[in-house]
Amino acid sequence: MTRPEKMVRATLAGHKRYLEPLIDVLHELNIYHVEDYVEDEDSFFKIGKPIGYGEDVSRKLVKVRSISNYLDVNKSDAVINTDVLSSELNTRLEKLDKDISEKNSRKNALENRLKEIESESEELKPFLSSDLNMDYYSGYETLAAYTGTVSKPISEEHIREITNSSYLLYEGAGHTFSLFVPKEYERAVYSYIYDLGYRESRIPDRQGKPSDLLRALEAEKADVSTQLETLDADIAKLKEEYGDFIMASDEFLTILSEKAELPLRIATSENAFVIDGWVPENQFDLLAAAVNSKTDNRVYIQKQEVNLSDEEEVLKVPIKHNNKGFAKNFEWVVDLYSPPVYTEIDPSKILMMSFPLIYGLILGDMGYALVLLSLALLVKKFLKSEAINSMMNVLIACQISAFIFGFLYGEFMGMPLASYTGDGVTYPGIIPGFETIIFDVSIVPGEFFMFPIHRTHLMYTILLATVIFGLLHLNFGYLIGFFNLKNQHGLKEAVFAKGSWFVMQIGAIIAIAGYFIDNKILLVLGALIFIIGVIMLFLGEGIQGPIEIPGFFGNMLSYTRILAVGLSSIYIASTVNSIAFEMIWSPSSGFGLMTIVAIFVFVLGHTINSALSIIAPGLHALRLQYVEFFGKYYSGGGRMYNPFGYKRIYTEE
Amino acid sequence: MELTTEAVEALSKAIAISLTGFATAWAQKVIATAGIGAMVEDGSIFGKALVLTVLPETIVIFGLVVALLI
Repeated sequence: MTRPEKMVRATLAGHKRYLEPLIDVLHELNIYHVEDYVEDEDSFFKIGKPIGYGEDVSRKLVKVRSISNYLDVNKSDAVINTDVLSSELNTRLEKLDKDISEKNSRKNALENRLKEIESESEELKPFLSSDLNMDYYSGYETLAAYTGTVSKPISEEHIREITNSSYLLYEGAGHTFSLFVPKEYERAVYSYIYDLGYRESRIPDRQGKPSDLLRALEAEKADVSTQLETLDADIAKLKEEYGDFIMASDEFLTILSEKAELPLRIATSENAFVIDGWVPENQFDLLAAAVNSKTDNRVYIQKQEVNLSDEEEVLKVPIKHNNKGFAKNFEWVVDLYSPPVYTEIDPSKILMMSFPLIYGLILGDMGYALVLLSLALLVKKFLKSEAINSMMNVLIACQISAFIFGFLYGEFMGMPLASYTGDGVTYPGIIPGFETIIFDVSIVPGEFFMFPIHRTHLMYTILLATVIFGLLHLNFGYLIGFFNLKNQHGLKEAVFAKGSWFVMQIGAIIAIAGYFIDNKILLVLGALIFIIGVIMLFLGEGIQGPIEIPGFFGNMLSYTRILAVGLSSIYIASTVNSIAFEMIWSPSSGFGLMTIVAIFVFVLGHTINSALSIIAPGLHALRLQYVEFFGKYYSGGGRMYNPFGYKRIYTEE
Repeated sequence: MELTTEAVEALSKAIAISLTGFATAWAQKVIATAGIGAMVEDGSIFGKALVLTVLPETIVIFGLVVALLI
């Protein structure tokens, strides 16, 4: 079994004069995991202060990040030399910052103007109905003017009656209007239009005819829009021109700021410093040599083995996975749950077998497996990131397993490959002439073994098989747990806490066998062994242990999901088929509108089902690992190894 | 309408599936909400939150198994 990489504690101490070169060399090595110093009220050593250049660096970093956010820069192919970069950083950054803030304020002004134009044109619209010069709407002594909108149409007849035919009415599109009446009819007219839902329009403070004004606004709008477009193009050009520079300076400044802030994590006195941390054992010599040569042997280095009996210290040791080959890809699956503790085994290798196996058992479909396999290969080809790469490798392993089980199950996109005849009914398969071979062997009455294994016709047999598979899988977990515990706390604890489960199971099997062959001695013997097992468990894990016994049956039954999840997608597929081509429309009723509805339901249903078929097996396979399987041997809770340093991508020394 | 054995069987299956399905959904709603809340504070617990959220799926799986056995 693989365990996390062996670590040693390395303490570095020296005069503050050597702190900066030490930080440089540690950062460059990228192997030293710094343990944060915790300051007490009465401790002699205090937390240090950032290195002088830190403040300036953080200020620039904030600027670079805000620019990169604004321009949406997120990748670059160039690698820039740090000497070149640091010599031009200030001037280029200033220039870029000025350029961008200028462009941004112009853009804001233009956008605001665009909004103003919109609202001004909206205001002018009611006045279009009369298209009188804007001066004519106000300033009368004997006339009352109304301009605005009503919700119901105005009856001109009625106005004529109220005003004795002395009025001027202009009506425009969308119930806009302008109405002029002598002052003496003001009240009557107002109460009439008020009933029609009159909403007054503000008279814009402008000169000239509304139509001319609108035309001018339109022209201005077009002009502003073009200006905005040019500005956007300019900004895009900036992104292109400065993209490499921004990514590189972000990285350059991040490194500087990490270095500047390291003193905040270490212990310092007036003239000295102490850094506490961890390094992989096989890299300690490298660390010592590099530190000595860079600081002229002026920094004291102490190596200390991990005290395995001190549980608190064991929990502190950072975890670096130590897997080789394909198992490396499964490390993230373990870390997603929780990294192992230093003394625990690293389950990546076990997951490498167990996870794809269960995934394949659940999905078991050649069609879906091929679709997902090509998808994973495509993603792998186009996205070249380490994390995505191992994620896709896990997916690929799962799909290969799903393809193999798909062959055993004879399934393609939820449909059977081979035809099957049972109880006088023939269920057709996709491949003509491919008939299911039925063997004269059965465990559950009425269900005969067959090839391919039709999950729908061997339901009870497979249900039983999944429970047995679960039993084996769980016992495998206990076995690993036994060795794990033996390593952590010794043989005695391992026998009591994990071995007891085997004793109980043996007892149970003997007792059941005794019951069935009607042998009282065997039955009692089995029961006794079982009770011994329970007592052992109690001694090993306290009262919590025996309480978990019913949970064991729950765990076993939980493996029936291997069948249940697989079946559900088959049933959803056949339900979609019968809704589309039996309930909504059937081929015998001729073509029509319902044909289209049926095809729509068919496509929609199968799309949803395909998506579910992809998500569900992954989630359930993962759950069986995390809940049922890990529960038997793995607790995790380690801290990830996170060395002080940086992997340069966009810059080089 | 006559309540045949078949009808009772079908009804029992429906009850087994629908009640357990509802129970699972309700439990997952509560857990997932709390999980998302916790993940806002600390994103690294995604794995644990996922495990806790899928725990109640067992209820509906048992429901399905019972329905198959009826």
